[in-house]
Amino acid sequence: MPPRVNKEKCDGCKAEHEPLCEQICPGDLMTLNPETRKAYCRSTRDCWDCMSCVKICPQGALETKLPYQLGYYPAKLIPLMGTNKITWTCIDINGKVERFVIKTRND
Amino acid sequence: MGQPRTGVYVCGCQGEISKRIDLHQLAATMAKKKGVALCREHESLCSLQGLQLIEDDLRSGEIDRVVILACSPRRHEETFKAILRKAGISEYLLETSNLREQCAWVHEEAKQAYKKAAILAQMSLARSRWLEPLEPLRFTATRRVLVVGGGIAGLSASLDLAEAGVEVVLVEREAFLGGRAAQLYRYFPRLCPPGCGIDYILQKIRSNSKIELTTLTEVKSLSGGPGNFEVTLLQKPRYVMPDRCTACGNCAPLCPADRKDHFDFGLSQTKAIYLPKGFPHPQSYVIDPDRCLGQECSLCRQACPVQAIDLEESPRERTIKVGSIIVATGWDPFDARLVEQFGYQQYPDVINNMEFERLVSPSGPTGGKLVRLSNGQPVKRIAFIQCVGSRDKNHLPYCSKVCCTVTLKQIKYVREFAPEAQIFVFYMDMRATGEYEEMYRLAQEESQALFIRGIPSRVIEDINSHDLILQAEDTLSGQMVKIGADMVVLATGMTPNQEFRQLGERVGLPLEMGAFASGHLQCFPFESRRAGIYAAGTSQEPMDASSAIKSAAGAAMKALVSLPEEIVIRPTVPVLDKTKCDKCKRCMEECPFGAWGWDDAGYPSPNLLQCRQCGICQGGCPMKVIALKHSTVKQTASMVEAFDPSFLGEREPTILAFLCYNDAYPAVDAACEKGLTYPANLVAIRVPCAGSLNVALVADALAGGADGIIVAGCASDQCHFVRGSDLAKTRLQNMQETLQRMMLEAQRVKWLTLNITDTEGFVRTINDFVAELRRLGPNPFKG
Repeated sequence: MPPRVNKEKCDGCKAEHEPLCEQICPGDLMTLNPETRKAYCRSTRDCWDCMSCVKICPQGALETKLPYQLGYYPAKLIPLMGTNKITWTCIDINGKVERFVIKTRND
Repeated sequence: MGQPRTGVYVCGCQGEISKRIDLHQLAATMAKKKGVALCREHESLCSLQGLQLIEDDLRSGEIDRVVILACSPRRHEETFKAILRKAGISEYLLETSNLREQCAWVHEEAKQAYKKAAILAQMSLARSRWLEPLEPLRFTATRRVLVVGGGIAGLSASLDLAEAGVEVVLVEREAFLGGRAAQLYRYFPRLCPPGCGIDYILQKIRSNSKIELTTLTEVKSLSGGPGNFEVTLLQKPRYVMPDRCTACGNCAPLCPADRKDHFDFGLSQTKAIYLPKGFPHPQSYVIDPDRCLGQECSLCRQACPVQAIDLEESPRERTIKVGSIIVATGWDPFDARLVEQFGYQQYPDVINNMEFERLVSPSGPTGGKLVRLSNGQPVKRIAFIQCVGSRDKNHLPYCSKVCCTVTLKQIKYVREFAPEAQIFVFYMDMRATGEYEEMYRLAQEESQALFIRGIPSRVIEDINSHDLILQAEDTLSGQMVKIGADMVVLATGMTPNQEFRQLGERVGLPLEMGAFASGHLQCFPFESRRAGIYAAGTSQEPMDASSAIKSAAGAAMKALVSLPEEIVIRPTVPVLDKTKCDKCKRCMEECPFGAWGWDDAGYPSPNLLQCRQCGICQGGCPMKVIALKHSTVKQTASMVEAFDPSFLGEREPTILAFLCYNDAYPAVDAACEKGLTYPANLVAIRVPCAGSLNVALVADALAGGADGIIVAGCASDQCHFVRGSDLAKTRLQNMQETLQRMMLEAQRVKWLTLNITDTEGFVRTINDFVAELRRLGPNPFKG
């Protein structure tokens, strides 16, 4: 399921020409709406749910739902970016919460 | 550089720390930690023997960095830094941990205090591994000041600086000096003619070789930073060669073109070639290019006995280097046309207070006669309306401070020129502060002015007699008052002038309340939001002439301090890791001081002289690639990692607090001074500004298992770095929303504003927070 943008939180990366989600998206799917200056996914069917955009968004404005092969509608996977770790929260369709802390090599 | 060899020093503080915390055990534990080359315990580290001990160890080469477990860094950090410097080691290889003010003195339970002390020591040791030796940064500087504006503030600032031996370039946009003060008839409090005071300063300035004075000159552009500004000045042509012109005046009578003289606010006319009023500098005629008929006419050129006229002169540009800049561009009267009901510029007898000054001035449009502008008759009934546009949300939300006293002064003028005239003053509140109260008394008792507390709803003109009719409610008696007057003077307030606004735009300086204020008037009243640019006189805020001279002295002092031969700044500057930066520009957007620009390779780069070292860029960087030296994300992350969320046991909640070092940290320190205690569950990390904290660190702390996180900064309008605390708050709110989606209680992350005296509030908050965290249960990431 493609990223959903929280328009309250998205600040269009301060109206930069290319917001961070646009820069990071491997499919070049994210872009700015020229009128609202908010990010949106311009081709939702092409999104692979890689979650790069969710992880990079400095405002925490992006959210993706899990693809249906992995979990139906209420299921969620949410990253919280630390300095050298990502904390993942996985909520399955029954509301069961699991959390993982993954070290990254970003040092 | 091999492995860091840390020397850990535990201070007993003459029993103050050791009575509550078992320091032998702490020292023994610390001695075994990785990276600790030696661990010593001492009764009083800040004593001469204590300092000698550290120095000897440093000199022996056994250790290369120092961790001090003692009192608050606010107390003795400088003492210990000095000893590192003395031993020839960078003072930035020091880490201090606060075992006294934030541990031994405020936690009653010895066991818990020991556990907290151990965790503090562990965190400090972790940070010490990432410390880097830093040396102060040095920049060459130009010892010269640009003063923009030749009014009374600009002139006195220039003179003050020149007398202190600094070169000054003073530029004035007009062809005359003295600014607004030169337009006044008299100025208070002594009610002497301003010409006397300005002339006095000008004589001194002309005889001082340090001051270069140019008129008809504006600042065209500006680049660089403090110490090294590059300013392009644009000198407009005057079409008359000042070195030849003798100001004989043969030319003006022949000139066929007229112009309205803005020195008299358009109330009088001169020829297109004219000798400026006030204090013309140089003393020569000028041609107004907008009105001059040009080459075809040339009558002035034929009349000039000394061939001083050059109608082909073109504007000249030049670039100068200066170390700092004083902006003294002054003010314009508020445009009273905006308050339509008073009929300004609709009825000729409604004028503003500056026009009134010109009217009674001997050099003014009537040659110093107080007459009606509509028919030239003497004035018999005159009304003053106070606060025109001032204290009004729609126009000027502030009080201009001087207009009440100006009216009191002008009442005296009326008595001087029309002793029989009746005087009415419509006011909201008369604000005659300090010794001006005496003028208020005299206006009532001697000048017999009638003060009516109420602002007229409107001013209308009687069609036949052209008398003005004012109707108002006297709020003291509750009665309607209707008064006929043949002149109405509007006491308009001060607004920053056009030059000032343009300069602001060119430099990217935000204007606050119409002034270049720093946003923090108590701590940095003269500083603008751009380092090296200072405000003087009414560019700072509305003020009278004597305050403007005082303000100029203050600004000159500030400019002087920032003008050494060599500028040395602390090395705690932001540094960008270009390999990971993706040029999102957020640092540029969020920096309150406009310090970030682009480097040659297209990456953001801070102007270190403009930077105030708050670290807001580090806090906002989504890639976490900006490191504010000595407070880097890495260093703080190492402390967060070393924090053991179960240090008080599995069930006890623990809180990690990030405290702004300006206000929040001292507020927490102050708890002990007031004899307060709070639970040992709180462990504090200091940050230069709440805005310097990257939320990734909060995420780290949560993922590491801390039950609660506090980020504390100053109140929104008190932040030393203008928007640090606001940004921190927004960033935390965004994060709290994410936490909610993660099914993690958002209450675990708390934003707190603390000012330095808020100690009780802080202790209450901590107690409540600990209770709340007990209720919430442990952080799911714990253990």
